[in-house]
Amino acid sequence: MNSTLLETKNLTYVYSKGTSSQVHAIRDICLKIEKSELVGVIGHTGSGKSTLIQHLNGLLKGTSGTVLLDGKDIWEKKSDIRKVRFRVGVCFQYPEYQLFEDTVYKDIAFGPTNMGLDRDEIDRRIREVIYYVGLDESYLEKSPFDLSGGEKRRVAIAGVMAMQPEILILDEPCAGLDPKGRETILSMIKDYREKTGSTVLFVSHSMEDISKIATKVLVMNESRLAYYDTVDEVFRHADELRNMGLNIPRLTKLFLMLREKGYDVNTNVYTLEKAKQELLALLSKGGTDK
Amino acid sequence: MISDITIGQYYKGNSFIHKLDARAKILLTVLFIAMIFMCKNFLSLGLTFVFVVLSVLLSAVPVKMYLKSLKPIIPIVIFTAVLNMLYTGGETVLYSFWKITLTAEGLTTAAFFAARIVLIIISSSILTYTTVPTMLTDAIEKLLSPLKVFKIPVHSLAMMMTLALRFIPTLIEEIGKITNAQKARGADFESGKLLQRIKAIIPIIIPLVVSSFRRAAELADAMNCRCYTGGNTRTRMKQMKFCFKDFVSLLVFCIGIAGVVLLNIKFGAVI
Repeated sequence: MNSTLLETKNLTYVYSKGTSSQVHAIRDICLKIEKSELVGVIGHTGSGKSTLIQHLNGLLKGTSGTVLLDGKDIWEKKSDIRKVRFRVGVCFQYPEYQLFEDTVYKDIAFGPTNMGLDRDEIDRRIREVIYYVGLDESYLEKSPFDLSGGEKRRVAIAGVMAMQPEILILDEPCAGLDPKGRETILSMIKDYREKTGSTVLFVSHSMEDISKIATKVLVMNESRLAYYDTVDEVFRHADELRNMGLNIPRLTKLFLMLREKGYDVNTNVYTLEKAKQELLALLSKGGTDK
Repeated sequence: MISDITIGQYYKGNSFIHKLDARAKILLTVLFIAMIFMCKNFLSLGLTFVFVVLSVLLSAVPVKMYLKSLKPIIPIVIFTAVLNMLYTGGETVLYSFWKITLTAEGLTTAAFFAARIVLIIISSSILTYTTVPTMLTDAIEKLLSPLKVFKIPVHSLAMMMTLALRFIPTLIEEIGKITNAQKARGADFESGKLLQRIKAIIPIIIPLVVSSFRRAAELADAMNCRCYTGGNTRTRMKQMKFCFKDFVSLLVFCIGIAGVVLLNIKFGAVI
């Protein structure tokens, strides 16, 4: 526990370098991701989240700075970059549009086959991950194009999980889903991490979602790393977050307002259950000022 | 590499040529190409060259842009020139070595062919750089409208062309996204034998085709929602007008062609 798995040092990436339209996508990112963390990544559109992710599995190479996986530079040997992608599994936004095989089984097998695993191992992994994403073996022989949107997305995520990456990165896995779909994906991520003990990074635009399951929050703002800390610590900067155009969860906001009015309450409240406890505690004290 | 494609690229401007009617510009391009092919000696080729240079200057598009559009066809120009140089028979032998003979006639032919290809690319680039794609397809529709007599759905064809042009950048972006997603699953596009490389493209092609169909269906729905019916009843927001300057330009080019013919007759053909 608590050993660094993935580290970036002064990572900077510049789009169209040397031309008039030169843009810094990310600037000077220094980041240490520990083993078994569940990191929620949040930031405004265009803050550099997706660019950062593409550096972590070597789809992009930083203009300057390094990415270290287990203490080794991922670009040390250029021919080994595919091995890095098996260890750092990335599932992009709207992954349902990347399905291409005629059965779910074959599509999930794409990653493991590229790894050169033998057939039995691939079969075992497929039957394992299909349950991780909340589907069952009856789906394996179906065509991915006959599934519903939410099911397609879960199949696509299973395709990345099947590579058994040490760190799983999901770019907005909940985008465009209804509340129930979001809930399913969130609890799926949480279960996956608990069962496999792997490290997970997920991008979301909802502080509510992040505060529900994440152990740490990474906040990106204007191509820089703004915060990387525990949920409680980050939400302490409510005002700064608001200036970045981000919102803290509504429940937390309520308790911050109560605190402002002079009531003695904790403000690290993200779930209804916790809110209930806090309110009951407050009432038992008579609900008085200070 | 894929972003080097210059087809349908518009260079924003406000020059004389930008302001010409799109129909006139298409006709002018046709006249241009006719002119290029009618050249039979270096004087008439020179005259055509002057026309091209003047048009490029009038378009106010940087010369760099034209060079960019020429870049992808350099291999074709060289290939054609070399073939013509070696396989054109002639009497005036300049140089002979083993089985290779260079003749003055061969050199002339090679120069002519190279010049023709380059001039054609430049003249058609003038058209695409100075005309918005939608205007271009509108103009094609107008020019082809006599074909309606033969029950050819000219309007639908023009609309299809507009949409096809519109979706080129979208598809390029899509290819990028899908490629990244498959690379993240360990797909290998860079190594392997030819057959393996062709097979490696399947995971990109299939999602691309699927999403193109999806986009097409969505677009059709969106058009239906706005009561698109197509056909003759539609009016246009921008009416095309054939003005004085369009007639003048066409006239100038007709005189140019006459000049080429005269020069051909007066000084004889070398090709």
